Amino acid sequence: MAKNLSGDLQVASANRLADGVVVWLDDAGEWTTRLERAAISRDRRSGEILLRRAEAEAFAVIDPFLVAVAEDDDGMIEPLSLRERIRASGLTFDAIAADAVRYA
Amino acid sequence: MKLFSDAGLPATYVALPFADWRTRSDWPAVALANTDPVEELAAHVDRLRLVVLHFPKFSDGRAYSQARLLRGRLGYRGELRATGGVLQDQVAFMLRCGFDSFESDQAGFGEALARARTVFSVVYQPAEDGRAPVSLLRHERRNAALT
Amino acid sequence: MPDAHFYRYDDYDRTLVGERVEQFRDQVRRRLAGELTEEQFKPLRLHNGLYLQLHAYMLRIAIPYGTLSSRQLRKLADISRKYDRGYGHFTTRQNLQLNWIRLEDAPDALAALAEVDMHALQTSGNCIRNVTADHFAGAAADEIEDPRIWAEIVRQWSTLHPEFTYLPRKFKIAITGSPNDRAAVRVHDIGLRLWRNDEGEVGFEVIVGGGLGRTPMIGKTLRAFLPRNELLAYLEATLRVYNRYGRRDNLYKARIKILVHEVGVERMRADVEAEYAGTRDGLLGLSSETIEAIAHQFAPPDLPSRPAVVGAVEALKLGDRDFALWLKSNVASHRASGYAIVTASLKPAGAPPGDASAVQMEGVADIADTYSQGELRVSHEQNLILPHVAVEDLPAVYAALGRLGFAEANVGKITDIIACPGLDYCALANARSIPVAQRISSHFASLARQHDIGDLKIKISGCINACGHHHVGHIGILGVDRNGVELYQISLGGDVDFGRTALGTIIGPAVTADKVVEAVDAVVATYLDVRNDGERFVDTYRRIGAQPFKERLYETV
Ligand code: HEM
Ligand code: SF4
Repeated sequence: MAKNLSGDLQVASANRLADGVVVWLDDAGEWTTRLERAAISRDRRSGEILLRRAEAEAFAVIDPFLVAVAEDDDGMIEPLSLRERIRASGLTFDAIAADAVRYA
Repeated sequence: MKLFSDAGLPATYVALPFADWRTRSDWPAVALANTDPVEELAAHVDRLRLVVLHFPKFSDGRAYSQARLLRGRLGYRGELRATGGVLQDQVAFMLRCGFDSFESDQAGFGEALARARTVFSVVYQPAEDGRAPVSLLRHERRNAALT
Repeated sequence: MPDAHFYRYDDYDRTLVGERVEQFRDQVRRRLAGELTEEQFKPLRLHNGLYLQLHAYMLRIAIPYGTLSSRQLRKLADISRKYDRGYGHFTTRQNLQLNWIRLEDAPDALAALAEVDMHALQTSGNCIRNVTADHFAGAAADEIEDPRIWAEIVRQWSTLHPEFTYLPRKFKIAITGSPNDRAAVRVHDIGLRLWRNDEGEVGFEVIVGGGLGRTPMIGKTLRAFLPRNELLAYLEATLRVYNRYGRRDNLYKARIKILVHEVGVERMRADVEAEYAGTRDGLLGLSSETIEAIAHQFAPPDLPSRPAVVGAVEALKLGDRDFALWLKSNVASHRASGYAIVTASLKPAGAPPGDASAVQMEGVADIADTYSQGELRVSHEQNLILPHVAVEDLPAVYAALGRLGFAEANVGKITDIIACPGLDYCALANARSIPVAQRISSHFASLARQHDIGDLKIKISGCINACGHHHVGHIGILGVDRNGVELYQISLGGDVDFGRTALGTIIGPAVTADKVVEAVDAVVATYLDVRNDGERFVDTYRRIGAQPFKERLYETV
């Protein structure tokens, strides 16, 4: 599956003010918790525009920024950096809560 | 900038920058940067009517120490004004360090200032506002219990 | 329920903490309403222990001087269940971190904490942080005086200190009352060590300018002997010098260690003493009455007389090898005959170090009630301590901890790993820490092997900020990021023991994540080959240097 790894593709992300949850800006200018709905900019200039749009919508989020992503043939996007992949998909190990019942 | 002051000196009262004031230290009002040595005011505190201390950012806390030295160590009793990053969430600390006048443009600052002395009814440290720290209150309470 | 034998809030303390919660509630409301910018709000939330991490807010709750009652621990479990995901992380600075807090809920969580006389005040931000102390305080056999008395005095003085809330950078104070420093006083901004001089008086050695982070430094002695009642006036003088002259132009050079380093300890001492001449006769002098009133609350519990040698314990020791190992590594001597100090290991094989679920917290609280006077401690090695356990009860405590998964006989051993949250949680991280710790811990799970290897401390940080203390690990592991790939730098020979505090040396190029276990294995194998009888890992390292370890390691990975 060919990946576009050029780093030109970007989405805008932030943490939601009220609860800190990771969100992305969608095409309608709403913040969504679903990465697959994120608006994608495909070159540097539209990246800047995307960031400006995000900043204009930043009332209920904290410090928006751009995230470089890759897109596969099916249009699935995935952040390039490990940090952003972890932000998108959560802890990479089982938090203790998952097996807390074991001790009960 | 809006001035909030108990001391009654008008906002137009001109405080000289420290470097200028040094050349004519009979002038009763001086403005210090937070790196200027307050110690040099020692010989003049009785004559000074206004000292202005500056917070370049609200998060740069050097002027708190300058204020305490002026009040506590040097015994300055004139107006002590805070300028720069003066926001309502820090004003209680400023009052405790001996400031009695504030320049601030923040909405709601005046109301916050009026409330600031009562947000915390208890203080743990002696500072420059004459409030009795908890250790002293406990001491008095123990003595009262004994008599 | 036995009453706790440590400081209890009076109405003044309660009033202050309550007012603080309400102040923060108002600040949160103003932030949510858009009246405060993030820049203005951030220091306010940090001063209340609220960070923003990768996935959510994190609340850092202070456990002052690491002392906790069973009732408080139950409340923490409760709060983690109600406002978080049912678990928490005990940190190296005697705090508890909850990783999934909502800003909207934070004031309620803080109000719930206040119900058990706890708070999250000054657990972050550029202020005087939660004061830490020896986790065996009040029980250790080698203690000169209970350091918690002083930590409480400092806690009160530093709480909402009007002059020192916007320092150049954070400020950490640690206190030990024993010659065997278990509080790492040489790597704090100020470390205080109680000792008795030739005249028989007890006072503090004041150590300044230690710290880890990106510029690790060992603290220097500012005052060899400070009479106890002068403590606050002296601290105030030191903090004032720092507040006025500490650097503010560069975040990374703003800690007091840099000031001390740049001006030299002699000049620092002269400045502090000059300032002190002005503060010493003020209101900060501590009357013996004030000290007594606080000391009184830390008076040790009345421990009923219990036998020092118990047949059943001896029998179990012979019959159960794991129990025998546990006695060796997790049980320390208590100053009262017939009693022992038990460490509950929060490092079961393969688990995230220092984490406990709400159910586990409640389980430990129950054990503390039945067997340890309702008292607990949190260690800077991220374990929980039961400070007053009768020798006779050790088998029962072992079994009960075992049911919680906390009876691993590994305290001080290779799987008693300190790891920071790393890239799984932390917004500043370069690499993950916890999964690395889990892999090492699973690999070395055999207790017999761990005890054969002996004392060996592994400390892991996910970036140069060094929250995992990697600089002072016997084996230190630092995660770095090279072009998007996680690599780990290995250092050897660090130590925090008093008198031997040392920073580790990086031994060569960083290794990839999948090679970390092999690298550690190679280091351990080298040690096992060349050690003398009874020689600890660090001592072997000091004797033979890095070269043999290095050769073996880079042959392997
Ligand atoms: C996940 C959120 C955390 C963040 C954002 C964070 C941030 C930082 C930063 C920026 C520093 C360096 C400060 C400096 O040197 O000026 C630092 C140091 C430190 N942190 Fe953390 N930390 C976090 C979690 C922890 C945890 C979980 C622990 C305990 C296990 C911890 C304990 C420490 C310690 C002991 C230092 C020591 C270095 C020193 O102060 O000299 N931190 N932290
Ligand atoms: S060492 Fe770095 S990665 Fe680890 S918790 Fe501290 S700041 Fe985060």
